[in-house]
Amino acid sequence: MAQAEKGRLNYRCPSCFLRDLDIDMFFDKDKGEYYCIRCQYTGTEEDVLAKNQLARVRYRAMGKRFTEEEFDL
Amino acid sequence: MDKLILNLIHRPEMVPEYAEKVTGHGKSEDIGRKALLTESLDIFKTQQEIAHKNGLKTTIQMTYASLFNAEAVALAKEHHEKFGDEISLSLLGLPCKEFREKYQTKDFCIWMFSMEDKKAIVDDVFGKFHEAFGFWPESTGSYYMDAELINYIKAKYPSVKCAVATCWEEGPKAYHTCNNSWYTFMDGGPWAPWIPSKVNTHAPAANADEDSGIVAIPHLSRDLLACYDGNGSNFGTHPQNVLRGMIYDTETWEFPYLYNLIDQYHHLSKYNNGYAYNMVFVGPGWMNKMGRWESPYELLLKSYEDGIGYYGKLKKEGKLIDMTMAEFADHYRSVKTYTEPECALWRDILYGSDKQLFWYCDPYVRACVNMDQGGAIVDLRPYAAKLEWPVGIGTDHIQDASYPFLIQEKYRAGYFTHYAGEGTLRSAKVCHNGEEVDLCLCRTKARFSQNGGDRVLTLDPVEVVFSDLTVKLQTVVTFPEGTGDIKIERRVLELSDPDAVVTVNEYMVGCYGTTEYTEDMSSLTLGVESAQDSQQLAYEYKCRELAAAGAEAVWCKLPPIKTLVGMTAEGRDKAGYVKEGYAFSPMFTLGYTGTLKEKEAFTTWLKLKRAD
Repeated sequence: MAQAEKGRLNYRCPSCFLRDLDIDMFFDKDKGEYYCIRCQYTGTEEDVLAKNQLARVRYRAMGKRFTEEEFDL
Repeated sequence: MDKLILNLIHRPEMVPEYAEKVTGHGKSEDIGRKALLTESLDIFKTQQEIAHKNGLKTTIQMTYASLFNAEAVALAKEHHEKFGDEISLSLLGLPCKEFREKYQTKDFCIWMFSMEDKKAIVDDVFGKFHEAFGFWPESTGSYYMDAELINYIKAKYPSVKCAVATCWEEGPKAYHTCNNSWYTFMDGGPWAPWIPSKVNTHAPAANADEDSGIVAIPHLSRDLLACYDGNGSNFGTHPQNVLRGMIYDTETWEFPYLYNLIDQYHHLSKYNNGYAYNMVFVGPGWMNKMGRWESPYELLLKSYEDGIGYYGKLKKEGKLIDMTMAEFADHYRSVKTYTEPECALWRDILYGSDKQLFWYCDPYVRACVNMDQGGAIVDLRPYAAKLEWPVGIGTDHIQDASYPFLIQEKYRAGYFTHYAGEGTLRSAKVCHNGEEVDLCLCRTKARFSQNGGDRVLTLDPVEVVFSDLTVKLQTVVTFPEGTGDIKIERRVLELSDPDAVVTVNEYMVGCYGTTEYTEDMSSLTLGVESAQDSQQLAYEYKCRELAAAGAEAVWCKLPPIKTLVGMTAEGRDKAGYVKEGYAFSPMFTLGYTGTLKEKEAFTTWLKLKRAD
C-alpha cells in the first residue's frame, strides 16, 4: 500500500471544521477516499463537499445583504 | 455618513506562509527554489494590478526576502512613482535562504526572538531597505510588535510613524483552530488603530509621555462578534478569510458577508465622531496557484477582485478614502486625542441571531458589554495597569503577547457553568421573597449616545418576573472618558406592586490570565473598606467572605498583573462584600447589595487602577 498524499485542493476535514479545527486531509489512493489524521472521518470528494454544507447551516445570514438601517437594531 | 478610511497593504513575500507547505507537498523543503519565488512575485503583481485597476493606492511592505530581489525592488519604485504607493518595510516574510543562513534559525515571528536578535534583525532589515531605496521607511509591522521592539525601532529609525502591531483576538482560538500549531497569542488588544504606550503595545497611550511615537493599526478589521468566539482567520476584511470560513455560496461564489462586514465597520463612524477605518493585508500565500481552503485559484482570485472591487466602488461613490500607512498615521494624529475611546456597537451579521455587543477601548480599559446577556460585561482588560510584558526568547512570555483579562466569558466561563462554581462576569441579580433572577437571562438591545466625555449605552428595559411581582428595569452603562471607570445604573421603571421593594445584587466574578487555564490566585488580596474599618483577606482558596453595611469600596489586588480592581456604590441600603473562591472555582467576587423601590436607581462604579 503506497503512502497517502494531499488530494486536489487540500480539502479540510468537515467533521473537525465543525469544531473549529482546520486540518487538511490526506487522500488514500487505494481506497479512493480522503481521511482525517486526527478524527475518524473518511469520505469521498463528493461526501466532503456535501458535509461542508453542514458548516454553513450555522451561517443563517450568510446570503443576506444588510442595509445601513439594519446595523442599528 | 463620513468616509471610510482604507489602508490596503501588499507584501512581496518571496516564500509565502502556507505556499511552501502546500505546493511543496511530497518534496523536500527548498525555500530558494525558483518556481516558488516566481509564483510569489506573480501573486504580488496580481494584487497590485487589482488595487490600481480599482483606483486604490497601496502600501507596499517590502519583506527581507524581497529586498534581495531586483525585480521586486524595481516594481516597488515604479508603483510608488506611478500610483503614489508607499514603499514600506515589513518584519513579516523573514524566511528566505539568506535569512536562514545568517541567523541559523527557522523562527520568523519578530516578537518571539530575543531582544538581542530583534535589534540585529531590525538593523539588518532596515539597513538592507535603505541600501535598496536610499531612504528610511515611514511604516513597518508584523502580526505583533512588542513595546520593546517598537521603542527600539522608533529610537533608531525615527522616520517610522505607523506599524501593523496586532491581530485582534488571535490567541488560544487560532492556536486550537490550527491543530495547536500556530503560536500567535495576542488576545486583548484594540480592534481599530491606536497609539501604543511605551510600556505595553496593546494598552493605548494616555498622554504624550506614554506615547510610543507610532500609530498602530490592526492586522485586518475583524468581525467583533464572530472573531470573539471563533477562528479570527475566518471573519476579517481579507477576502480569502471568508473562503477559509466557508462563508460563500458554492454555486454562485458570492459572499455578501464580506460586504456586510465592510459596511458595518463604515457604520462605526456613528460612534466615533465620524471616523471609520478598514485594513486589508493579504499575504501572497492566500492566492496560491494550487488553490487553498477547498477553493481553486479562480475562486481565490475572484474573491480578491470582488473584495477590492467593492472598496473601489465605495471610493467612486465618494464613500471611501484610500491612504497609505504613513498618510493614515498623520491623519489619525490630526483627528484623535489620546483619551478619545474607540467604540463599537456591533450586531451579528452572520449567524442570524440579532445578538448585539458593545466594545469600548481607551488607555485605561477595554470592555465588552453583551446585550444578549442583559448588558453584562463579558470581557475586561485593565489597561490602567499598563502592564510591563516583554515577550520573546529570554523573557517570561516567549510566545504569549496577550494582554491579561479580569473577565473572559469564553475562556473562564461566563454565566453558565457546569455543576458548581462561577464564571467570570460583571452582572446583577434581582431578588424578591427568596426568588432570584440574573439579568444575564434578560436579552435586550442598546442605543449609544455621547454626552460630553461620557459614552453612554442605554439598554431597552427588561421585565423580571417573580411569582408575585413583575419588575420593569432599565440598565444604563456609562464610560466616562479618561478614567478607567465603568458606571452601571439600574433603574426600576415600574413595579406591578408599587409598594414592593426588591433587592439588587451587583457583582463581578473575576480572575486573571491570558488563556483558558487557571493561574495561581495565592498572591491576590481582597478587601472591604467602610467608615468603621478596613478588612482584608489573603486568597487561600478557602471560600471565605467579608462584608460591611454601607461599605465605601470593595476591591481585589492582583499583583501578577499589577492591577487593582474595585467597586463603589450609591443607593438604598448598600452593603459591600467580597468572596474568595475555592479550588474548583478559582475566582474572586466583588459585589454590592442594595434595595430598590419604584422609580429608584442603584448605581455602581467599577474602577481599574495600577496596583503599585
